[in-house]
Amino acid sequence: MKKALVLLLCLVMTLTSVFAQGASEPKADEPITLEFWTHEDSARQVLEERYIEEFKQLHPNVTVNVTRQSAEKLRELIQTAFASGEGPSFFNLPIENEFQYIEAGRVAPADYKTLGFKDAKDLLANYQDGMIDAVYYDGDVYGLPLELTNWSIFLNKKVFRDAGLDPEKDYPKTWEEMKEVSKKIVIRDGDIITRRGFDFRYSYELTYFIPMVEQLGGSLSEKDGCVNKEAWVKALTFMKEWGPQGENLGNPTLTAARKLFNKDNNDIAMCNTGLYQEARILSDNAAFYNSGEWMVVPYPVFEDAVKDVAGCYYGHFYMVNADKPKAEQQMAWELIKYFLLTEGHAEEYLTQVGLIQPTKALMEGATYAAQPYSEVFKNDFARSHIVYYGKGATEIQSAINSAIKQVMLQGTDPSVAYDALQKNVLEILAD
Amino acid sequence: MKHEKKFSIEKQQAKWGFAFTIPCLLFFAVFSFYPIISAFITSLTNRDAIKRTWDFIGLDNYVYLFTQSNGGFSLINSLKATGIFTIGTFIPMVVVSLILAVMIMQLRKPGQSKMFELAFYTPAVLSSVVAATIWMILFQPTGLFNQLSNFVMRSSGRDFQWLTNDNMLRISTIIVYFWKYIGYFTILFITGLASIPPTIYEAAIVDGSSRWHTFWKITLPLLKPTIMLVSIMAMLQCLKTFSTQYMFVQGGTAREPIDVITMNIYYTGVVNRRLGRSSAMSIILFVIMLFFTFLQFKTQKGDEDVEY
Repeated sequence: MKKALVLLLCLVMTLTSVFAQGASEPKADEPITLEFWTHEDSARQVLEERYIEEFKQLHPNVTVNVTRQSAEKLRELIQTAFASGEGPSFFNLPIENEFQYIEAGRVAPADYKTLGFKDAKDLLANYQDGMIDAVYYDGDVYGLPLELTNWSIFLNKKVFRDAGLDPEKDYPKTWEEMKEVSKKIVIRDGDIITRRGFDFRYSYELTYFIPMVEQLGGSLSEKDGCVNKEAWVKALTFMKEWGPQGENLGNPTLTAARKLFNKDNNDIAMCNTGLYQEARILSDNAAFYNSGEWMVVPYPVFEDAVKDVAGCYYGHFYMVNADKPKAEQQMAWELIKYFLLTEGHAEEYLTQVGLIQPTKALMEGATYAAQPYSEVFKNDFARSHIVYYGKGATEIQSAINSAIKQVMLQGTDPSVAYDALQKNVLEILAD
Repeated sequence: MKHEKKFSIEKQQAKWGFAFTIPCLLFFAVFSFYPIISAFITSLTNRDAIKRTWDFIGLDNYVYLFTQSNGGFSLINSLKATGIFTIGTFIPMVVVSLILAVMIMQLRKPGQSKMFELAFYTPAVLSSVVAATIWMILFQPTGLFNQLSNFVMRSSGRDFQWLTNDNMLRISTIIVYFWKYIGYFTILFITGLASIPPTIYEAAIVDGSSRWHTFWKITLPLLKPTIMLVSIMAMLQCLKTFSTQYMFVQGGTAREPIDVITMNIYYTGVVNRRLGRSSAMSIILFVIMLFFTFLQFKTQKGDEDVEY
């Protein structure tokens, strides 16, 4: 009996020690595989592949599997993976799609020690004031910014001159001027548009349309939905007049303006996009980039605006899956640190990919100042706020997108479209 | 004694028969039966794709779907969009594929009929996503289809709004689907037509029956099993349509006119994370498909036993 008891105790101790080891600090040479899921960006891919190779030399026990998908597909892929408990080690998404992972407890708080910070406050102090507040939740920081992006207006000077306009003087400062300038630039074969002045980035309504509403005195509130009917109806009326039911200057079914812009094919004069577009122009059409025939101008406002608001900024944050073993989480933070916090990397992300990581060092440094038109983006940052990322952000964006298409394509009265939109938004918020 | 022996052989054969069906039954259980049961259970919950916990809420999802707007994309609108698409596609597809099959069978040279079969069937091999993307380009105001429309209507520079007008958008998705699957159903009809013994036609010719009379009195009645098969398959496929509408919406078109149930399930579950609600939609779609299949079987019962 005694022998059996001793044997049982030994077994329990052995098992305890085995499991205790599993939860302890990882061994330096323990093989670790990191699954890294991110959106496609050819310029960033080149940079990060190099970083991963360098990181693997420093950590020979680490394997990094990278999955790259289009931004839209990635959102769905990550969501489906988390639903089935098979998420990646770390990933990035726009904050309006990412915040829900923080709320649901599916991502881990930052590993401050691994990242080289004392605590959350120390980490926050590394960044421009308020810039990463979106990932500060219940006293912890849950992600590090790969990019913080705002959109200004890219302009093709050649197309302006071709339409008899002086790009330096005639660029649109207000939405009303945007319409007038576009009317001068647009070329049609009958009803068919063959050259557009400008077109919006439809399906990103939280980023470009909400600021237009705010300029007119309205807002989107988590409590009251679409606040100030007059402002919303006015903004929707502007969209209606822009579309085929109005002046026929553009519509959501035409090829995205920013995709055409880089080609410099005399089919688009202006598009709404971020600083990263500069790297993409260089990559797609170096001759156009070097020609100096493009420029960036500030986000317009309405003539009777009651508030000076530029396009919202949004962030892509690297976040770590809280369901993964501690060793894997720690190594994921280690790699994120290597990507984002190694000396000189933020500058490379900026100069080679056009991504802004809003650290104080970068934003106040010479590299940012030297980036073409960085001042325009910086000034627009000062006029803007972060995109709505609260309750039902994705659904609300779809509902606004639908309202815009109703007025632009289906000829719905803006007031009727607003009433339906408000009803839908309140239903989403109450759900 | 003799009877006992026969029973034993039958039993033996039945055992083997059962053994051979086990893989198929397992496959069905894992990939069809389990997901249906799982979807039904999920439809009774408020499960969110990324939240760790959820509650059973009974039939609340079903009540919600029939009384609320689902953030502007209601189930009622989806039922309407699916109904319009199914009626607009399924009936013309069955009729035209039958006509095409009869016409191809009339061709005397085998090489010619093979060439037409191949030409009609080719789009069915193409991925739905690729097909929808190609057609999106064709339907653009500067695209081939709009130019063709201008040529046919003897107009110039007119935008026929294939992607921007609600009705034209519905027609566009119907055209894509029709183009993609017409060949597939034509081949099924050709197979059915080929199985009708030629001696029956020979007897009809001897009796002096005209081609038209032969088609209505011989071909069509003998083809009823194939017609039923094709109509059920075509209808179910139309009710499950997804890729064409999804690609069109991704391309910037309005969602409401073509928001078929499968697409609403996708947006509600995958994009908006509401797995409970989207599962309830799936179960509703399942019941609709089951009902129409049963109805078709019921209406055609008695005509199935065709003997040559």
